[in-house]
Amino acid sequence: MTTPPLALIAELTHRCPLHCVYCSNPLQLRANFEELPTEVWIQVLEQAAKLGMFQVHFTGGEPLARSALNSLVSVAHSLDLYTNLITSGIGLNEKKLASLIAAGLDHLQLSFQDSDEGSADRVAGVPVHARKVALANLIHECKSLAFTVNLVVHRHNLDRLESIISFAESLGPQRIEIANVQYYGWALKNREWLLPTCEQVQRSVLIVQRAQERLKGRIKVDFVTPDYYASFPKPCMGGWGRQLMLVDPSGRVLPCHAATVIPGMDFENVREKSLSWIWEDSGSFRRFRGEDWMPEPCRSCDRRTLDFGGCRCQAFLVTGDEAATDPVCSLAPAHSLIEERISHANLSCGPDGASLPPSWTYRTQSVPSSPRSPLQAERTEGRVSDTPTS
Amino acid sequence: MNTLNSSSQPRLAVGCRVREGEDGAGALLVPEGVLRLKGTAIDILRLCDGRRTFAEILVEMESRYQSADPKQMEQEIESFLSRLQQRRVIDF
Repeated sequence: MTTPPLALIAELTHRCPLHCVYCSNPLQLRANFEELPTEVWIQVLEQAAKLGMFQVHFTGGEPLARSALNSLVSVAHSLDLYTNLITSGIGLNEKKLASLIAAGLDHLQLSFQDSDEGSADRVAGVPVHARKVALANLIHECKSLAFTVNLVVHRHNLDRLESIISFAESLGPQRIEIANVQYYGWALKNREWLLPTCEQVQRSVLIVQRAQERLKGRIKVDFVTPDYYASFPKPCMGGWGRQLMLVDPSGRVLPCHAATVIPGMDFENVREKSLSWIWEDSGSFRRFRGEDWMPEPCRSCDRRTLDFGGCRCQAFLVTGDEAATDPVCSLAPAHSLIEERISHANLSCGPDGASLPPSWTYRTQSVPSSPRSPLQAERTEGRVSDTPTS
Repeated sequence: MNTLNSSSQPRLAVGCRVREGEDGAGALLVPEGVLRLKGTAIDILRLCDGRRTFAEILVEMESRYQSADPKQMEQEIESFLSRLQQRRVIDF
């Protein structure tokens, strides 16, 4: 029998009031009418608890856009699942926050786009920064709720990293997550504008180390490294089908946020199969579990039990082969493809970090709001690409 | 940074919980994930209730594990709790 998963990532909706240019949601967003009804989400939570999972991470899109969020937190809590809300904060107010805490919310991660209001709002595509700061003050006052401030960093804000950390610190969280953009979804579309320079990366590593030392015992500072600059790949999702299950807004069960980009994969849906069956027996979860699928150099590499060959989605997105060694690995046959992107980012004629890109793609998409009225399009938008879950 | 002393009263920080599995093994649930608890870690964390002092926790652990060397046990528990405090899992 396979070791049970640790946590469920519940993508309640792809709707979001923000349009972040680095959103990690897929380019093909699920429409409102495809969203799982609340009663099915309740069954999913029950199955997750039964399967032995410990935690549920409510995310999206913006999970607050689902009116049933409070009930789902309450159900998860009653099943003894640890509940985590990953949010932009938009849609939250004092009353809703109090009722989420009463429902048993354990932790809230609030994302910010920058410390500077103008830059933050340009990345989000909507003026929301000031509201988020006000919300952070409300959250900070709730002593029974654990609070993380997440800040996504990239070429256009890394030069301000020191002030970004001071800003995050001033919001009073127990934890700060400085997350470099990872190149999936909308971020991959905007990669040319987001990829930092080598100098920025080296400087940022030192700044984060100094902050970790200074804040030790007071605020935990986690750093999601820029994997294009790493020597070895990240252990994406703790390994395919090893620790996590993600249920997307339409009920598809994925081993990873970006897995739907891989062609020819058949992902099961919670409307048809149980989580337990999907975890144990589905072709999709077994596809890259273990080591049998691994090519060289992974197969004979000592690091294969640490990084599991890296990210399958990144392998596909960069090399066109989902079973290749993650190309960010310095040992990967296709590593030159990453080196090319890095050299381009470091060219003196590359996009200037200080100036704004002339043409980046905001996450925004028209999707039908109902299958019966396909002409009545509704704008459905993005989310802050917070945390690559690691 | 706080330093652990004999009158410190360690407790789990907000957003951190211990859960015992069916097999008796434990897990520490924290905002960013799950930490597996091995050996006596779960016993120690159960005693970190915000009332018992570090000195009282040591006495309790010594009575439970009488064959262990008390000096070594004290060092190990102190280092364990200090590391968890730096990770914001334990407050004292």
